[in-house]
Amino acid sequence: MSSADAAPAPALRIDELRTWFHTDAGVVKAVNGVTLSLAQGETLAIVGESGSGKSVTGLSIMRLLGRTAGRIESGAILFRGRDGGEIDLATASEDRMQAIRGRDIAMIFQDPMSSLNPVFPVGEQIAEPIRIHRRLDRRAARARAVDLLREAGVSDPERRVDAYPHQLSGGMRQRVMIAIALACDPTLLIADEPTTALDVTIQAQIVALLKRLQRDRGMAMIFVTHDLKLVEEIADQVAVMYASEIVEQGPAHVLLARPRHPYTRALLACTPHGATRGTRLEPIPGLPPDPFAPPKGCRFHPRCGFALARCAQEAQRLEAVAADHVARCWRWREIAP
Amino acid sequence: MIAAPTTPPPAAEPLIAIEGLTKHFGAAPAVRAVEDVSCVVARGETLGVVGESGSGKSTIGRLLLRLIEPTAGRVVFDGQELGKLTPGELRRFRRRMQMVFQDPFASLNPRMTVGEALSEPIRLHRGLGKAPALDEAGRLLERVGLTREHLARYPRAFSGGQRQRVAIARALAPEPGFIVADEPVSALDVSIQAEALNLLQDLRRDLGLTLMFISHDLSVVELISDRVMVLYLGRVMELAPAEALFAAPAHPYTAALMDAAPGAARGGRRITLSGEIPSPAAPPSGCVFRTRCPFALPDCARVEARLREIRPGRWKACIRDDLRL
Repeated sequence: MSSADAAPAPALRIDELRTWFHTDAGVVKAVNGVTLSLAQGETLAIVGESGSGKSVTGLSIMRLLGRTAGRIESGAILFRGRDGGEIDLATASEDRMQAIRGRDIAMIFQDPMSSLNPVFPVGEQIAEPIRIHRRLDRRAARARAVDLLREAGVSDPERRVDAYPHQLSGGMRQRVMIAIALACDPTLLIADEPTTALDVTIQAQIVALLKRLQRDRGMAMIFVTHDLKLVEEIADQVAVMYASEIVEQGPAHVLLARPRHPYTRALLACTPHGATRGTRLEPIPGLPPDPFAPPKGCRFHPRCGFALARCAQEAQRLEAVAADHVARCWRWREIAP
Repeated sequence: MIAAPTTPPPAAEPLIAIEGLTKHFGAAPAVRAVEDVSCVVARGETLGVVGESGSGKSTIGRLLLRLIEPTAGRVVFDGQELGKLTPGELRRFRRRMQMVFQDPFASLNPRMTVGEALSEPIRLHRGLGKAPALDEAGRLLERVGLTREHLARYPRAFSGGQRQRVAIARALAPEPGFIVADEPVSALDVSIQAEALNLLQDLRRDLGLTLMFISHDLSVVELISDRVMVLYLGRVMELAPAEALFAAPAHPYTAALMDAAPGAARGGRRITLSGEIPSPAAPPSGCVFRTRCPFALPDCARVEARLREIRPGRWKACIRDDLRL
């Protein structure tokens, strides 16, 4: 490393991404103008409630939108490849994506059972991407699968490599998914609610594992979650999504302690924590917007305690509130840091 | 106050007393879902029941309402032992005990309007005619923060949070004194969850309800409970007033659960549990938690850790009293 890398090139830059779903009932603009960036070796948490667009953002990066409804309408997803050059995943050919998926960018999901094939031993499912992308023979691939299971914290990996998914617990299955994801040494891992279905003691184990792997391998990670408290545990950077847009992005410790967007603030205020015993929480008034017809102006304005007449008319862009912190609010200066 | 009592007096008049409650499912080997659980729930109290998958927390809720029969032990509700009731008597008793589930869709008939779904238990349990029952259903909807206009709608027309309100209204319809809420807010987004928790607290206060609140989420249990029961593999690990328990857990498992919760900021060193919860069909000998306990001694495998009162109102099932957690 020379001193010239003081500001390392980002691993991923998303610029004004629009991913829309064309349904019989109308167009759902699930991701609508998302802009964010992720440095190499860092973890970015994308946090939001159901329907905010956080998962679709992750799926857009992988171009796993299915053949039917979802489509990237515009914007760029600039991913830095191993050769140092940037590739726009929004427009890359399907062949190119095939080569990138699993090798350069890997993804894990909430429910490992729906990603694992029930009729093959887990070892074969770990070995498959290695054989495809690395052209190893069967025996070498199996040995590598055992190593990966060990790295993912699976005890007794020589035996478990022959296990079928249904013979493993939920936590073990997620470790297998992590082993598959790591098989080709990706430079970016996208984890979509990977611990949501797990018990809290197992969640703690998986989070510790992901943090260790991310650090040891120098991977960049996108961690999609609904849980603000988990963000604090795992992320360097946080992007908060509401109604298909990023409303705030900044360093995790800054954003959680001193949010500058009213929605981030409201989310924190309605999350129970130690100091709230016996108290009333402050729910966010109203309902999340209709995905077919989001409000004009700032999408949060109908539920926002800070809203002015202007907010109903004119949407604010993401504005820098500090060097590494942006917020989409006309009144961020007044929102007590 | 005269002489010190020899048995712990309930803080207030108990509404429910469960004694040695045990439930085994199947045979050879039986799944020991609940093993020798005893406690009282005072009138107007909220007892939080917390534990991971397989801890037996949902089974205890179902045993309490007699939705399933215990293998051993008894449940006394307002002085009446439920196991001794005839089926007819039990049906009449059911009016006083209701349940709210995690998934409101599972407890609402998709082909019934909300008005019909609410009127049915009102007519059945309270003997009202059709029109007064519907009127009462409207009042219940208003009580849970919805409106009379919602009476004519079907469950699918509601959001997840609204559906849970309907499920709560339905549980309130027979005017019960006791509600078991089994993970009632776990499927809800955090902003909706906050509304549902506030509603439950308001109802409890306004209607004098006694509540058993079952959850895997410690922060939610801490918010709503007067006392907390911590379960592991069907056994009570700790039972204590919420404030005391969260200020200073007495059982290593409670401390580990608190430390595992994201954003936990307990002072001192953090306990992380290795391994997974053992099978309830083959629980470890001695203390069932010992295989994952960082403080286990050789004795823990031999001696059954009985639940004992370490301070007034504080119970724990751990043989070690030398731990600073």
